[in-house]
Amino acid sequence: MGLAGKRPQAAHGSFFLPCAAGEGDRAKRGGGWGALLLAALVAIASPAFAKPQRVVSLNLCADELALRLADPGVVKSVTWLSQDSRSANMAAKAAALPANDGHAEEALAYDPDLVLVGPFADPASVALLKQVGAPVVEVGAPQTFDGVRRQIRDVAASLGEPERGEALIAELDARLARVAVDLSRPRLKAVVLRPNGFTVGPGSLVDEILTRAGLDNLAARLDIAADQQVPLEVVALLGADLLILDRDENGAPSLADAALDHPAIAALAGRMTIVSLPSRLWTCGGPEVAEAVERLAASAAAARARRATQ
Amino acid sequence: MSARATGAGVRYGPLVAALAALALAVALVSLMVGYARLDVPAALADAFAGRSTAAAVVLEQIRLPRAALGATVGFSLGLAGAALQGLLRNPLADPGVIGVSGGAALGAVVVFYSGLAGAFALAMPLGGVAGAVVAALLLYALVGRGAGTMTLILAGVTVNSFAGALTALALNLSPNPYAAYEIMFWLMGSLADRSLPQLWLALPLTIAGWALLLASAPALDALTLGEDTAASLGFDLGRLRAQLVAGAALAVGAAVAVTGAIGFVGLVAPHLLRPLVGNRPGRLLLVSGLGGAIILLIADIAVRLIPVHPELKLGVATALIGAPLLYSLIDRMRKEA
Repeated sequence: MGLAGKRPQAAHGSFFLPCAAGEGDRAKRGGGWGALLLAALVAIASPAFAKPQRVVSLNLCADELALRLADPGVVKSVTWLSQDSRSANMAAKAAALPANDGHAEEALAYDPDLVLVGPFADPASVALLKQVGAPVVEVGAPQTFDGVRRQIRDVAASLGEPERGEALIAELDARLARVAVDLSRPRLKAVVLRPNGFTVGPGSLVDEILTRAGLDNLAARLDIAADQQVPLEVVALLGADLLILDRDENGAPSLADAALDHPAIAALAGRMTIVSLPSRLWTCGGPEVAEAVERLAASAAAARARRATQ
Repeated sequence: MSARATGAGVRYGPLVAALAALALAVALVSLMVGYARLDVPAALADAFAGRSTAAAVVLEQIRLPRAALGATVGFSLGLAGAALQGLLRNPLADPGVIGVSGGAALGAVVVFYSGLAGAFALAMPLGGVAGAVVAALLLYALVGRGAGTMTLILAGVTVNSFAGALTALALNLSPNPYAAYEIMFWLMGSLADRSLPQLWLALPLTIAGWALLLASAPALDALTLGEDTAASLGFDLGRLRAQLVAGAALAVGAAVAVTGAIGFVGLVAPHLLRPLVGNRPGRLLLVSGLGGAIILLIADIAVRLIPVHPELKLGVATALIGAPLLYSLIDRMRKEA
């Protein structure tokens, strides 16, 4: 029944949906290269018609980008994670929408013309979505600022909102440019502690955020992978100037978060500056990373000032 | 079993002293072992001088609670195992096997993830104790007195799997996205990055539990002569049962609330030491507690030395030793039957 109900929509889709994923499938179903060419022509001639009208997002990071970029009313459903203002950036908008648990079946209920999935989406779910002809765009986990820009651009294109994407990138770059880093002085040494005692090594977005904020990521000296658990005693003895705690402000307790409340960390407060940074600012590689850089740069400046007075 | 004869040669006082010395030595080794290179004497000097250097903080706030909890939790498990085995007159009665630890984990999980733990300081250990009491009462209702080994084990399996399922359910109901992944800690246990406040909170209930269990020694010895004889010697069996269940629940419940459920210690310690005390369950109590402390401390040193990341859960290490032993025990009992 679901499939039968979809067929007219799918035909529309092949005309009005010029974007990347799912295009090949649709072109074949809709009658081959002719349809594809027509779709491309229509897309160029009238970009307004190219926008998907029923977008479902099955991933927190995709939720936020879609809500930032799409017209009101276009996004039909987002994940439940996006609706908590303590752990998500677009909660005000997300809370007004029906929530999903990230399952393919939930997306299909909206008869979507674009489904956004995350980097760790269940392959079976993605296969199911593609099988019934829903175009799927995967939102990744960018590991560099360039990757962040590329991702905004890609998602904006799939939503048919390239100008908004460029505007968002320009705003991100402008905010980053305003963060002044005094390169004449040696960088303060910092280490990140995430829930469950994970730290973040080189080659990651967090590492780039630290560098951009004028900090030197000590985890680079630990010979560890990009994301790895580190015993608390190793963190304590690293000799960092700044200990950056990645706090989820979700409110519900977990052992993972309790690891950041270990009394050893409070006991070290006299020896290093402890900074809490909300997870929502750097979990997804969205434009909110600018705020993470701003806050860390401000903390670094405060730590320097404190050291100068001591 | 004919161990009574073989145990006659070992004297009780020196045995206790030797085990206590060994437990202390292993606890000191536990302080030395860690992931970061720590100058322990220098850290100790800093700590005593009140200098909060990073080394002193690591020693005081991370290594000390880990070693102290290893010793006290191991003692609780070994002691409770010996006491339950004496009460049920069954060498397979271990708090892990019969579901008391599983119940304690459930109690602690409900208190922690519902946010009740923040309500008052003792909420967590009391949650563990409450869970342990419920599991013990359920078990007793199923087993009653003088039930066979088969009934005991089946009842334990039932209580254990039910508690495990409810623990998973409670974790899944938490709105925190990490919670559902934390079942490993509660079912397998760990001493990683535990803290001094957790030790102080667990200690009063733990010591109360130890006192109740150790005080039952004369009654447990009398019980080996049969329930009627014990009763005629003036021991109130109903009171003894209540005392042992309360003691085991206090000691194990408070321990599990801090470290998660760690299996097999209460099985292995009494089994290894029973021959040395001439099969007197009263004397086995203290000895088995010390043995449990030694076993758990060694297991915790091992998980830090084995180069596996993330660190192995303690229950994995204790099961690797304990499960073959449980198997051989059951096998021997089957052959003797």
